[in-house]
Amino acid sequence: MSDPIKLTVDGREVTAPGGQLLIKAAEEHGTYIPRFCWHPRMKPVGMCRMCLVEVEGPRGKVLVTSCTTPVAEGMVVHTKSDVVKKAQEGVLEFLLVNHPLDCPVCDKGGECPLQDQTLSHGPGESRFVEEKRHFEKPIAISELVMLDRERCILCARCTRFSDEISGDPLIEFIDRGNHTQINTFPDEPFASYFSGNTVQICPVGALTATPYRFRARPWDLEAVESTCPQCSVGCRVSVQASQNQVLRLIGVDVDATNQGWLCDKGRFAFEHLRAPARLSTPLVRGADGELHEAGWGEALDLIASRIGAVIAERGPAAVAGLGGARSTNEEAYAFGKLLRGVLGTGNLDASLGDDPGAALLAGVPHRATIDDLERAKTILVWGPDLKEELPVLHLRVRRAATALGADVVVVHPRATGLDRDAAHVVRYRPGEGAATLQRLAAGEGDLAAVRAALDTGPVVAIVGRTGLAESADLADAVAAFALTLADAKVMPVARRGNVLGAIDMGVHPHLLPGRVAASDAAARAALAAAWGCAVAVPGRDTSGILSGMADGSIAAVLLLGCDPVADHPDRKAAAAAFDKAPFLVSLDLFLNESNRTADVVLPVDTFTEVEGTMTNLEGRVQKSNRIVPGVGASRPVVEILEDLAARLGGSIGAGAAAIAKEIALVAPAYAAVSWEALDWGRGRDGIVVAEGPFTHTPERRATDPSVGALTLHLGRVLYDGGTMITAGPSLARLAPEPAAHLHPDDASRLGFAAGDRVTVTGNAGSAAMAVAIDPTLARGTVYLPFNLGASIGNGLEVKVEK
Amino acid sequence: MTDRILTVRMEAHPTDSHTMARYEATGGYAALRKALAMKPEDIVAEVKASNLRGRGGAGFPTGVKWGFLAPTRPRYLVINADESEPGTFKDRQLLERDPHQLLEGIIISSFAIDAHHAFVFVRGEYPRSARRLQQAVEEARAAGYLGRGILGTGFDLDVTVHLGAGAYICGEETAALNSLEGRRGEPRIKPPFPAVAGLYAKPTIVNNVETIANIPWIVMNGGAAYNAIGPEGSRGTRLLSLSGHVANPGNYEIVMGMSWRDLIFGIGGGIPNGKALKCWIPGGASAPWFTPDLLDTPVTLDDIAKNGSMAGSGAVVVMDETTNVVAAAWSIVRFFSHESCGQCTPCREGTTWLQRILERILAGQGRPSDVDLLLDVCDNISPGLRWPPAQTTICPLGPSAVSPITSIMKHFRDEVVAMIPGAVTAGV
Amino acid sequence: MTWPDTTLARARDIIARYPEPRSAVMPLLYVAMRHDGRLTDEGMRQVAALTGMTAVQVESVASFYSMYKRHVGSHVVSVCTSISCHLLGGRDVLAAVSDATGVPAGETSADGSVTIESVECIGACGGAPAVQVDYELIEGVTPDKGAELCRWLMTAHPEVVHGDDLQTRFGGRRSFPAGPPDPVGAMGPYPAFGPLGTTGGEA
Repeated sequence: MSDPIKLTVDGREVTAPGGQLLIKAAEEHGTYIPRFCWHPRMKPVGMCRMCLVEVEGPRGKVLVTSCTTPVAEGMVVHTKSDVVKKAQEGVLEFLLVNHPLDCPVCDKGGECPLQDQTLSHGPGESRFVEEKRHFEKPIAISELVMLDRERCILCARCTRFSDEISGDPLIEFIDRGNHTQINTFPDEPFASYFSGNTVQICPVGALTATPYRFRARPWDLEAVESTCPQCSVGCRVSVQASQNQVLRLIGVDVDATNQGWLCDKGRFAFEHLRAPARLSTPLVRGADGELHEAGWGEALDLIASRIGAVIAERGPAAVAGLGGARSTNEEAYAFGKLLRGVLGTGNLDASLGDDPGAALLAGVPHRATIDDLERAKTILVWGPDLKEELPVLHLRVRRAATALGADVVVVHPRATGLDRDAAHVVRYRPGEGAATLQRLAAGEGDLAAVRAALDTGPVVAIVGRTGLAESADLADAVAAFALTLADAKVMPVARRGNVLGAIDMGVHPHLLPGRVAASDAAARAALAAAWGCAVAVPGRDTSGILSGMADGSIAAVLLLGCDPVADHPDRKAAAAAFDKAPFLVSLDLFLNESNRTADVVLPVDTFTEVEGTMTNLEGRVQKSNRIVPGVGASRPVVEILEDLAARLGGSIGAGAAAIAKEIALVAPAYAAVSWEALDWGRGRDGIVVAEGPFTHTPERRATDPSVGALTLHLGRVLYDGGTMITAGPSLARLAPEPAAHLHPDDASRLGFAAGDRVTVTGNAGSAAMAVAIDPTLARGTVYLPFNLGASIGNGLEVKVEK
Repeated sequence: MTDRILTVRMEAHPTDSHTMARYEATGGYAALRKALAMKPEDIVAEVKASNLRGRGGAGFPTGVKWGFLAPTRPRYLVINADESEPGTFKDRQLLERDPHQLLEGIIISSFAIDAHHAFVFVRGEYPRSARRLQQAVEEARAAGYLGRGILGTGFDLDVTVHLGAGAYICGEETAALNSLEGRRGEPRIKPPFPAVAGLYAKPTIVNNVETIANIPWIVMNGGAAYNAIGPEGSRGTRLLSLSGHVANPGNYEIVMGMSWRDLIFGIGGGIPNGKALKCWIPGGASAPWFTPDLLDTPVTLDDIAKNGSMAGSGAVVVMDETTNVVAAAWSIVRFFSHESCGQCTPCREGTTWLQRILERILAGQGRPSDVDLLLDVCDNISPGLRWPPAQTTICPLGPSAVSPITSIMKHFRDEVVAMIPGAVTAGV
Repeated sequence: MTWPDTTLARARDIIARYPEPRSAVMPLLYVAMRHDGRLTDEGMRQVAALTGMTAVQVESVASFYSMYKRHVGSHVVSVCTSISCHLLGGRDVLAAVSDATGVPAGETSADGSVTIESVECIGACGGAPAVQVDYELIEGVTPDKGAELCRWLMTAHPEVVHGDDLQTRFGGRRSFPAGPPDPVGAMGPYPAFGPLGTTGGEA
């Protein structure tokens, strides 16, 4: 875009940035030009011809598509002339020639651009008397998406999305001319993590999502804008519900985060909200050793008396709390206040040992925002496969690489979703990360060109754990290196939705709310004054709590939306700890591997059911909103915790709104954050909290362990055994089978072929699974997707045997 | 005065005009030697001075097109040998019978525009043309006319013969570029024009076979000599493909300016079987039709345009008095419907709709409203039904399907109406 | 990779003729047809692997063009019915060919020997009506000769068809003097072109 220019639209002089597309310039000045194929987030193709306008030229007025025509100085445009109107009527009549007009049974009916524009710009009747084009309808093109080719108007939005935006072109135009159709390859379904976006942007009812098909009419839906909790990107969503049930999520277009897109996990995981297995009443373990339904009073009384007894007998240091990374900030704050203030324990942690460390997450200097990717010249990604863990961040990096000209450098033990668009790809074996970093920093050998690329700033370094077998120190070391680069910013990444928010709320042994060091006695005293009760000194983190549970020094544990047995990288150690927990309370949606042995399980309200805020990986605070009630007797976490606090003789605050105000008062970084400021329409891009006061200087202290011939790469996949995946019917079936992935050279050296059954043995167990061959894997590495039902620990040493 | 440029060799040497030996023996590649000693910009100047106009259909001045090239490198030359306009078969003769003439033109043109890789997009249905051209390429490479350091100069050139696979639309230059990039042969939105962003988004010149086959002669004889042949606006010779109801169909290299009567009744030998002339298409299936009242107008680009049609690809299709013009129009509309790439709505839906209305009329199931409907559907593809056509479409294929319908409605409306039960012939 | 090494080597040669691998998709689709006798899913997957495209991107390209055929017999007989051939009896030739073979346009004979199709202009308007067998051209074809041509194809099962030979036996007037005979013929329902490895019957 260049300097503003003046043009005339329908006789009115307007100003627009030079080079802006006419369709957009007109719209920004209140002239809506009808369109089907044009989408503001994709390159224009001018195919549907609906946006034709007349532009005056040296040889008279010419019809041009306003979606492909940039504005120019002195341009004179007519959008409502007789010629334009006739052309638009003609295009609509042509589009309806083969459209089935099955609107009464079409999910799109009522929110259909073809319907709406036919009403506003179309002819009153069709003169087409011939038989329409017929296709089998609808056909399933994936587990999630159905295609009705008769309704399709061939606008190429879906094909362009999959090629241009998500980079997995699995749907395409097939055949030619009047026989053209959208389809997949015969035996290759549209298995994209982003397929739901094509449903959202389809201008007719050609693409429909199985979770929503025939569930509602658009005019029966109510909607609220909210924040997707599925990962720490924090995509803006419109949650749409009918009759107290969430029926779909639609991506909201904000520049800051998702630019309108969602991943399919974020879009479809809402099914877990009404899953049959969801807890709807408190459960208390009876004398028979089984969990039984109980009333809230009974359950809370039991918790208060048992925890009170533990504190009385063993002191508050025998009590611990884990979780909060899936909660709202208000819930996490309440949890931390209950533990630190009311119960007096400093044993609390929202981080489960599977992220790059709370210090880096909360304290990194020069933190990058997602939008910094729009300006970055070089992007270093040394962390998780973003496509698997933070899918919409993957789209933003991909956009930077493919549309904005950034050079992407990917460092990972195997191919990631970004490799195809990366300028440089570096492979290394887990366990050799420190040496690889050393070589990269020095620009040694084949890494000279990579190192040189990193000299072009602005640089954004996306840093995290490539896998769970690797030390978090490596991410810290990478961040330290990245901060030495010219004009560099660092984005530490972790997956769980509100992990940074929970840490910011003080659910961490060493941090008080607002990133204040808990070791600072003055800070504790100030907080104590605000809370009206003593604030505990720093206690144990997750691994300390787990070992305390195992050795008996921790006697009571509260879990807030947290399943360490499934999610902790060392699942065996977590399971051993939980086997010994004397008193265990879980606030959760489902029974899971950790709370199956709990003494009390409390059903909670969750996303779409409570109001609050979340903080994404940038430190961007965004609002989550309520549109449906919880299920059965479930209650909001803050109310449960307040009732519990009262039974223990304390208070944490009455309700989330009050807590939100308190956060702004006691958490310095959150002083400017209020629900009012974040509410719909005013603060759509959220508020990025300032860095500090706690800061962390990353250090190159990582060293490589000595490892054997094979090391473990324990990476996450988008669809795993997580409860929000497995509880909903649509996503549950998408989780892959666990497999031991080997480089072909290693497989042949070891005498394995694809499909062979093998036993994989790690530092904490063995599991049987099939061999898969992955030529993209670093040699000497076994890649095992995490949380797919096979657990062998997270040590680097691994063996594969027949 | 020269009256033939392109077909001299093939006529004089019917058995071996396609070989390197014959080509060299008849002065071949002398123009290349001369060109390589010239400055590239001087070659462009000669081509500009020749007033050579493109022979693919649009008739754009070749030298001017070359002058539009963006300064960036690499640049590409693409030869459009996707000759598919119904009635046209001239390029096939040039490819099969004198491939070196084209190849020499390619090498000179590439040198002139600083391209080091040229592609010849030969339609898939012309394997013989592709074979002859490929053989010529291999002979030329062996003789040092292609490859690295051509004829001892620093000029390198590679020529790839690319076989199409059955899609008329690839004759549209940007569709050809998409096809060469391994994509569907769908026309691109212009601008950007290929000279700015063409093959692989690099500056690219797309020229027709016949156009480039003229280049060696222009280099040898000078642009001024070429500009001295034929009437203004239609300089040089022109290869016309004559077909249909004519006694002597075939390709004829002519100097433009003769009358249609001389062409159809003189060169063409008139209408066979004692039949009368009903109408003809002056420039390929896309062109509006002419009727005998224009027989004595000149065959030049400008005169044809002035009379409401175009010289197009040089295909003249003659129809005698027995012709069912509705069926003939249907054949052409069906062609465009079949060849529509399908990306833009008016062409994809409109051409097929037109085809089906004509099929109904031909089957005796026309409706009185169909006459107006045909014209209004045409109007929604080509607003105003004027010439040269406006278009609601991306490329000119859609309006091409309109030409036969507006032609029969203009000249033979009564015949159309007579085929529709219940329709009333309008008295004038 | 399922293609034999010689075919893969040819594919790599073809890819080397273009600045970008994707540009080779069209010639490689012909190579795939030569390998399988027709266009197959497996062939398209192979082309996808060689060009770095997804299989559906290859299919999208292949299905755009009319000469890549999933369903086709040993020979494809293409009868032109575009305007010049239309005016001079192309549809009569098509009818005669269909009658003689019992195969309607667009279909393949039960024995798999021939596919009959009505095609748009094949650039032989001066010799209309025109027919192609495996894209080898025969001009000036009468309905009787067209029928005879098809009967011959279905009984003789020629391995290679030569345009000049067919022209002599089944054709009439040509668009222009053809020059010397071409020694090369077609081996199946795809065009005969050296770089594709699809030529047969060199003299």
